[in-house]
Amino acid sequence: MNGTHRLAQIPPGVQCFVGDEARRRRRIEETVLSVFEGWDYEEIIPPLFDYADVFTGETLSSKMYSFVGRDGSVLALRPDFTSLLAKIAAGRLRDRPAPIRLYYSGEVVRYEPPRAGRQSELFQMGLEHLGGEPRAADAEVLTIAAECLEELGAEGFVLSLGHVGVFTGLLAGSGIEGARLEGLRERVEAKDARGVRRALAEVDLAPEAKSALERLTTLAGGLEVLDQAAEAFACCPAAAAAVAELRAVAVAVSVAGLGSRLAVDLGEVRGLDYYTGLVFRAFVPGLGFEVGGGGRYDTLLARFGRPLPAVGFMLGLDRVALLLARHKDEPAPSAAVAEPVTGADLGSALAEARTKRAAGTRVRFGNGGGR
Amino acid sequence: MSLTVALSKGKLLSGTQELFRGAGLPFPDGEGRRLVVPMGDLRFLFVKDWDVPTYVEYGVADCGIAGRDVVLESGSDVFEPLDLGFGGCRLVVAVPSGSPFSLGSASTVRVATKYPRVATEYFLGRGISVEAVRLAGSVEIAPGLGLADCIVDIVETGRTLEENGLDAVETVAESSARLVVNRASFHARRAEVQRLVQTLEGAVR
Repeated sequence: MNGTHRLAQIPPGVQCFVGDEARRRRRIEETVLSVFEGWDYEEIIPPLFDYADVFTGETLSSKMYSFVGRDGSVLALRPDFTSLLAKIAAGRLRDRPAPIRLYYSGEVVRYEPPRAGRQSELFQMGLEHLGGEPRAADAEVLTIAAECLEELGAEGFVLSLGHVGVFTGLLAGSGIEGARLEGLRERVEAKDARGVRRALAEVDLAPEAKSALERLTTLAGGLEVLDQAAEAFACCPAAAAAVAELRAVAVAVSVAGLGSRLAVDLGEVRGLDYYTGLVFRAFVPGLGFEVGGGGRYDTLLARFGRPLPAVGFMLGLDRVALLLARHKDEPAPSAAVAEPVTGADLGSALAEARTKRAAGTRVRFGNGGGR
Repeated sequence: MSLTVALSKGKLLSGTQELFRGAGLPFPDGEGRRLVVPMGDLRFLFVKDWDVPTYVEYGVADCGIAGRDVVLESGSDVFEPLDLGFGGCRLVVAVPSGSPFSLGSASTVRVATKYPRVATEYFLGRGISVEAVRLAGSVEIAPGLGLADCIVDIVETGRTLEENGLDAVETVAESSARLVVNRASFHARRAEVQRLVQTLEGAVR
């Protein structure tokens, strides 16, 4: 581990893209951002770091690259865009009437060992819909997500919908928290019915609520799951209300022609701590993990002093690129062939190159070099 | 395209074979060295038992059969919709019989194990400082030779522990064979995955 060694070695979790690969990423970004623009979202370029307190929740804070600023304040490289956009919407844009539609595109950094298509540096393209009528906003965001995937050529994609209110509704009044709550959540997430039963054994909860929680492990499939869920949650008005909300959104998106793209998974109970309603993930055959996702977060903006309901979604550019790279019939886009321009006299060769450039030709000045 | 199922040729093979036959599903005969075997609607991958969760997590296999002990240790993010009922065992903490050593008294417990992740999490969760010594096998001899204070390992009958002078003192987790499913396949290939889950579920009951 001497200094020379470090000059060649790269730290784990970072990536570098060259030529065609970089071009592929730019093209993906252009495609997605033009969909965002097409739905009249406005770009925002937030700062690379902010006070660490801005980024909330245990899930994020344990993965932050934080550091102490010159003035002693604790800062963090952005692990997430949503908190930053919420802060900006509540602060600098506070006089702008809701709904506010914003999008972003850029890197976030999280301390994560490289695994399953995840690096420490992640490139996210996403949008936030702040304020407005919640069901309409949910449906709009799902529709935009679907259009992005269509435009990217992600064949067979599925948007899997869940709702945070189902799990929290069923647990209302149980007093379960901490490690036991996490243990239960993890078993629901794994769709392990027996594990859920075991985790609930000593929890003080009505038997109907317990069996409904166990049912969460199998309430996954097409939209018919919403009917089954309405029946299974008859005992619990809060959970039933969440299902009704989800149904209103799913019906609207189906009428718009995307019904075959929707799935329901009421066992999706994890995610960033700030989600409060609809949650969803996008899956595409051929990639073992989601390419993106999002959800509703109605309490986050209040932290920054402007209580507004909100919903957002993002696509991971790294995962989209991985997916498209696997389509063998779709090679990485390559550059046009360049015309070499050389000459004994440097000045007249440069003049020739300028003439060709003015005509739009790609030129390579001088000899040599490879690709 | 057929569903890909990752299996191991390890100790879960005979139970898996029995399960598939009982469910009326095709199953390779087991002989031969082919590691990728297409059969009917399924494509079987034969891999190391410790690698099954990895193949499934990355979506190279849509489903797989793995012990819960292995899934826990791998930390893989996969669905576990079915407990298949065979391959039952317990992950336990075992200490030398009659030794004065107790988990609470040591400032740091040194534990020999094939499950360093599970063991470390278990001890830290109990507020006990731990040093996990990762071994690939013959874990039972480690305490007697002074390599570790105790072990965390799987126990079926308890005979191996007994023969090596160890007592199981705490259960870390229960284990059995599980059907594991890739998260994306579960949604993106829902009809096929559901059919397989239901067929196997029918055979387990």
